[in-house]
Amino acid sequence: MKRRHFLQSTAAAGLVVAATPKLAFAQSDNKIVFGGSVPMSGAAAETGQNVLQGYECAVKFINEEMGGVEIDGETYTLELDLFDDASDPSRATTLIQRQVDEGVNFFLGSFGSNIVLPTCAITEAAGRIMVQAGGGSDQIFTQGRRRVFGIFPRASRQFVSSVEMFTSLDPAVETASILYTNDPFSESQAQGAQTELEAAGIEVLDYIALPAEVSDVTNVLTGIRQNAPDVLICTTHDQTSILIARQMVSTDTNVPMLYQTLGPQTTAYRDALGDYSNSVVTQSYWSERAPYSGDYFGSAADFAEYFRANFDRDLVYHMASGAACIISYVEAAKQADSLDPDRVRDALAALDFESYYGRIRFTEDGDGDPSLLGPILIQRQEGQLEVIAPPEGASADPIYPAPDWDERD
Amino acid sequence: MMLFLQTTINGLALGGIYALAAVGFSLVFGVLGIVNLTHGIFVIAGAYGALILFTQFGIDPLIAIVPVAAVMFVVGYLYQRTIIHWAISRASLVASLVVTFGVAMMARNALQLAFGPDIHTITPSYSFSSLTLGDLRIDVVRVVGLAASLFLLIALAVILNKTHFGRAIRATAQQPLAASLCGLNVRNLHGLTFASGAAMAAASGAIIGIVQPFAAASEVAWTLNAFIVVVLGGIGSPAGALVGGLLLGLINAYTAQFIGPALTQAAMFLVLVLMLLVRPNGLLGNAFGETR
Repeated sequence: MKRRHFLQSTAAAGLVVAATPKLAFAQSDNKIVFGGSVPMSGAAAETGQNVLQGYECAVKFINEEMGGVEIDGETYTLELDLFDDASDPSRATTLIQRQVDEGVNFFLGSFGSNIVLPTCAITEAAGRIMVQAGGGSDQIFTQGRRRVFGIFPRASRQFVSSVEMFTSLDPAVETASILYTNDPFSESQAQGAQTELEAAGIEVLDYIALPAEVSDVTNVLTGIRQNAPDVLICTTHDQTSILIARQMVSTDTNVPMLYQTLGPQTTAYRDALGDYSNSVVTQSYWSERAPYSGDYFGSAADFAEYFRANFDRDLVYHMASGAACIISYVEAAKQADSLDPDRVRDALAALDFESYYGRIRFTEDGDGDPSLLGPILIQRQEGQLEVIAPPEGASADPIYPAPDWDERD
Repeated sequence: MMLFLQTTINGLALGGIYALAAVGFSLVFGVLGIVNLTHGIFVIAGAYGALILFTQFGIDPLIAIVPVAAVMFVVGYLYQRTIIHWAISRASLVASLVVTFGVAMMARNALQLAFGPDIHTITPSYSFSSLTLGDLRIDVVRVVGLAASLFLLIALAVILNKTHFGRAIRATAQQPLAASLCGLNVRNLHGLTFASGAAMAAASGAIIGIVQPFAAASEVAWTLNAFIVVVLGGIGSPAGALVGGLLLGLINAYTAQFIGPALTQAAMFLVLVLMLLVRPNGLLGNAFGETR
């Protein structure tokens, strides 16, 4: 073969290989591949690792304990193809676009609305599906996307149960202050909290935006001390929540209830604050004590047992939420009896099934149904995380008003 | 009036920490001309070092400053004499910018591999204490941080102005060739200056670990803060770092209290831009620039 012909044939073969659609990638070798990114490093890494272990837990269980999943007469195993987005939206979008180009059909979400929002825009535009447990910002669900599903209700709908709890307390909550950081999730959640509080007749004394990166809140706390709200609500992420609580203790800023949506669930929070973390209220979307069960894992307690037997991180609800993304995909594919993205999408939209996580159903906009998947409220009492609302699932009564900081150590 | 006083106290306490965290950056920038983007890594490495000594051996973070700074002094010296020196000698001073940026990225991930992605805090017995003076509330840890900052900054100023080592560093910064002709080992002095900067950064990290939660990813903010402090206060001197740090703390506090906490970073960058336009060498100028 002449050199020119050899080069021509090689180049042509290369072009053919490069141009061959890689749509089979997502289900080759009887594997269902889930793409996506997770913040394994960077600012959101702590919770990102929790979500990742939730994904890994579900994949391990379905592959090893259930022997895979049968769809249209074929048995498939699950595989994760996730990369570290380093908590950086621009890195995440670049790499998600690459996976879209490679033909991945089914995506899992990152953690943080600032990453989920731009990445789900890419998957939606490409006609791919994303099921995620890391983005609650309203913008994810209110811009007309049809292929993005969230295990959590959108942020503005996450305060219904909280305000019901506030109004049931004795003495009743009359005033509240809200702190939030300048990011899509935190702001949406704060807006939802303000709306629900005002609708319930609770006066919002302060509505304060903090920068995305917070290094000091002592001046904000000076204002909180002056206004003395009954409840201080912080729709902040883990690190900022720890900072706020620490500075509240060290500046002796007391409120009858400190309510932080993210942070108090974590080991880092407990380690940083010790006994001062007692009486702090937070949200949780799942509890191993919840009376839920289903075909995957069994009951909530069974999920907790399986997770602890196979993974090393302290179990928090993010693991259960991450695993719920996978079982939602699998259940939808089984009900569709197909891996065709359009049919799986339709099955996800119509999904309604019982599981260890509770009854999973999405709204028409794709976020979790708030009547089924809304938060339960947790309060740390003598070191234990107790469910204090809703009343039917409560394991303890709320401690309200909370003792002053100097009475907690 | 009480609110203004409380805000001023909060700003000074915060500024003290900014100053201490920035002085090493300022020294390296002033003497070697290197914008050290690894600076935040030294700060956070100091915090992790203090955390280990506290949790494993029960050593108070304020005492841990000494061993942590000593270790980072050695690390800083080796780093300058090898990687940074190779980059500068083979390319240019600007190459150090790229090299330190790359090393910072690798070191951030190495720290995360070693310590995990979780947020950490150091909690000695006094970490939640507060002083109450009438209506004024003062966070004891931050006052301790401010006092430690002042002590270390004064110590560095004395070393730079009163000792042979300090005079040699200043001579090297002002006229490297002349210093070399006088028998000073300029390369070695560059290494020692960089090492001193790393030690100061690590010392500040031990204090920052008490004051606020940290993770490997926090290093970026401390490099950025150090840069702003140096631009505000001036290059190369502890006094410049102190002025810049306190000013930054006060800007942060007054903006948070009287304009809105969401605008603190906007205010910091606005002042940064204005300072670069009006007085690019900072309030106290370049400690070594006029004699170069």
